[in-house]
Amino acid sequence: MSERGRRAGLALLPLAFLLLMSILPLLRLLQEGQGAVSADLFTDPYLQWRVLWSLLQAAASSVAALLIGLPVAWCLARYRFPGRSLSLRLLMLPFVMPTLVAAMGVLALFGPQGLLGVNLQDTPWLLLYGNLFFNLPLVIRAACEGLAQLPASRIAAARTLGATPWRVFWRVEWPAVRPWLLSALCLVFLYCFSGFGLALLLGGQRYATVEVEIYQLVSYELKLADAGALALLMLLVTGAIATLYAWLERRLAAPLKVDPVLPRRPQGMEWLQLAAALAMLLLFAGLPLLAVLWRALQALAVSGFSLLHDEEVLLALGNSARFSAMAVLLAALLGWLHALAARGSLWLRALAFLPFVVSPVCVAFGLLLLYPQWSASLPLLLASYALLAYPFVARSLAGALDSLPRHWPQAARSLGASPLRVFARVEWPLLRPAFRRGLAFAAATALGEFAVTLFLSRPEWLTLTTLIYQRLGRPGADNAASAMLLACLLMLLALLAFLIIEWPSAAERPLRKES
Amino acid sequence: MQLFKTTSLISALLLAGLSHAAELRVLTHSSFAVAKPLLAQFEQQNGVKLNIIKAGDAGEMVNKLILTRANPIADVVYGIDNTMMGKAAAAGVLLPEPAERKPGQPQLPGATSIDYGYVTLNYDKAWFAKKQLPLPKTLDDLTRPAYKDLLVVENPATSSPGLAFLLSTISAMGETKAMAFWAKLRDNGVKVSKGWTEAYYTDFSRNGGARPIVVSYATSPAAEVFYSKEKLSTSPTANLLLPGAVFQQVEGAALVKGGQQAALARKFIAFLRSDAVQKDIPTSMWMYPVQPGIALDPVFQHAEKPAAHSTPDQQQIAANSAGWVGKWTRIVLKSGQ
Repeated sequence: MSERGRRAGLALLPLAFLLLMSILPLLRLLQEGQGAVSADLFTDPYLQWRVLWSLLQAAASSVAALLIGLPVAWCLARYRFPGRSLSLRLLMLPFVMPTLVAAMGVLALFGPQGLLGVNLQDTPWLLLYGNLFFNLPLVIRAACEGLAQLPASRIAAARTLGATPWRVFWRVEWPAVRPWLLSALCLVFLYCFSGFGLALLLGGQRYATVEVEIYQLVSYELKLADAGALALLMLLVTGAIATLYAWLERRLAAPLKVDPVLPRRPQGMEWLQLAAALAMLLLFAGLPLLAVLWRALQALAVSGFSLLHDEEVLLALGNSARFSAMAVLLAALLGWLHALAARGSLWLRALAFLPFVVSPVCVAFGLLLLYPQWSASLPLLLASYALLAYPFVARSLAGALDSLPRHWPQAARSLGASPLRVFARVEWPLLRPAFRRGLAFAAATALGEFAVTLFLSRPEWLTLTTLIYQRLGRPGADNAASAMLLACLLMLLALLAFLIIEWPSAAERPLRKES
Repeated sequence: MQLFKTTSLISALLLAGLSHAAELRVLTHSSFAVAKPLLAQFEQQNGVKLNIIKAGDAGEMVNKLILTRANPIADVVYGIDNTMMGKAAAAGVLLPEPAERKPGQPQLPGATSIDYGYVTLNYDKAWFAKKQLPLPKTLDDLTRPAYKDLLVVENPATSSPGLAFLLSTISAMGETKAMAFWAKLRDNGVKVSKGWTEAYYTDFSRNGGARPIVVSYATSPAAEVFYSKEKLSTSPTANLLLPGAVFQQVEGAALVKGGQQAALARKFIAFLRSDAVQKDIPTSMWMYPVQPGIALDPVFQHAEKPAAHSTPDQQQIAANSAGWVGKWTRIVLKSGQ
């Protein structure tokens, strides 16, 4: 029973899960299509534009996230100011927001009659802004991590040798932070390229992505072969990027640092830099959430709380909480097993991305074809939630496991600690923050995952997301107002899950390795 | 001990009751909203447990039914309409029933009609009053410069009201003229949204959008009054019943081929046509009941019921709809770029 055998044992459950919930459904859909791909599928200029636009918007979002994210991250990492640690923690808030809430926030800002008075509807900017809202925090966080890994002594040495701060950045900090940024950019590209919900809600007819086209082909035109061909094309691109990401991520595994650069008080013009950085952060990551809050308060002022006194709202609230809790438990189990198994295995690590890279539309319909008798059963619904949520736990833990100093458990063992005690006293405290963060993302995904609306639903399974759609499916001012209030409620619920799971105790260091 | 015995006896009975109650799987679209007490009453009277399964809008629902025809996911389907009926019938997913025919009721050949309504244009009264623009009198008016950028429609490929509206224009003008009309509409800045929700809640000027005319339902103005906090005395919107822009949509129910519980399924269809449910439909799903003599809620005085409509027959829709939507997409969406 070698290390290899142990790993295979651990990997069994997550791999079986991926096979049953992701690979087989996709294959089943392809089989149903019988390979009857339209002759002009890839020569149709309309579709070529879709593919091109998908690539373009993902690339543009990545570049913009880099250009805005890096300076902001530098200021956050190097300057000490009141509210710094709060800003660093709140940074991940957009990432845990349900897609629907984010889209409603973006539309409230930049829609026709938006709060800012600029109508960006039917322009590419709306989707790009939405992409940045979700992904800028990822880049900022990664750059902060990278900057924190740099020993203070090296920067001090460069300064002593007479390098200007600018030169220090280019010659010392930039090379150190580059791999971190690259890995975050892979992730940003991946999310934007294969994005579905946001593109569907913000892209309009012209700026929708390939995934939206797949949705249209499967859901409404039943052209399964065409949809399957497009899904495979997507998979080719996303699969390559996911593997690159897994490779980069493994190289980043760094031992715990010794003398990180301490942030200092900005002086003179530096306050200006800091203010600009924080303003950017507010503009891209804060405004849509504030817009949702503002619109909800407006709705409240007109209609009062009576709109929420309703048995449907209670049912939806209860279900959202219940389903998320169950999905998070399942995701925690699968994530642990996958992360442990993926230790040192590149392909297992890349496989943790499978649920992100396989078209969710194809999976939803593949599951319907594969398990029709269970298609309206709760276990299958929860498994779908867990499928989309568990990669967050697996990835976060895999990173933490990599940076676990190997000699610490060895030392503990040689001092006579039992394996259980080593885990409880040495490994667990080091892994806990990453585990919590993974859970926070998983909970947020389960609360507001858009792709789940593709599955069959039962009235008794009403969740906040489905209730918002239900209200927006009827005319009338009350329905619009209650949809806004519900979106705000969903936002607060995501915030609550985030706080419960992610808020570390004072003893834990705030910034640990994360995507 | 006695307590323990009693509770275990009760729970055993309950379990037995649950496992013995027959289950009827009802597939519906996501707008299904029959009052819960009515459904509970049906369950009680027939000793059945209803399993309501929502499968997206009517188009998605029919496609899911077709995809799972080898192993049906439901016993009875409600919400299939005359735009989708032909497709479902051609795929052989329904059990054709001799429908109960009553003269004067809208029919849905191949299924049992339950309710009906009209897809038509709604306009924002306040917008037109403020701009002092006269209302368009014909569909062709919408292609004139005075009405540039005022209309939002749903994509017929992804929305049933969108498809219904396209079908009504084709029925009124014939295919060639209708497609020419759409080309002119495109040049006059028609906006295409994915579905009704997007069109009504982000593009329609009544709800913060920029377009004062929207493709919606003839009952929407009544719903606007019904769902308003301050209980409006008049609707902020009204129907714009232009000739060639009214489609009669008939929704019905049918047994799913290969489904179980045929007897119960028939009872459920009869239940949907019972007075209690028919009376509930108007203010829960905003459709008109097919049974004559059902009193409507007074709020319906705000919804002008169309006197005429242009609706192709079911066979025509079944045979041509995919081709028409393809042509429409090429003209309006693809060549517009």
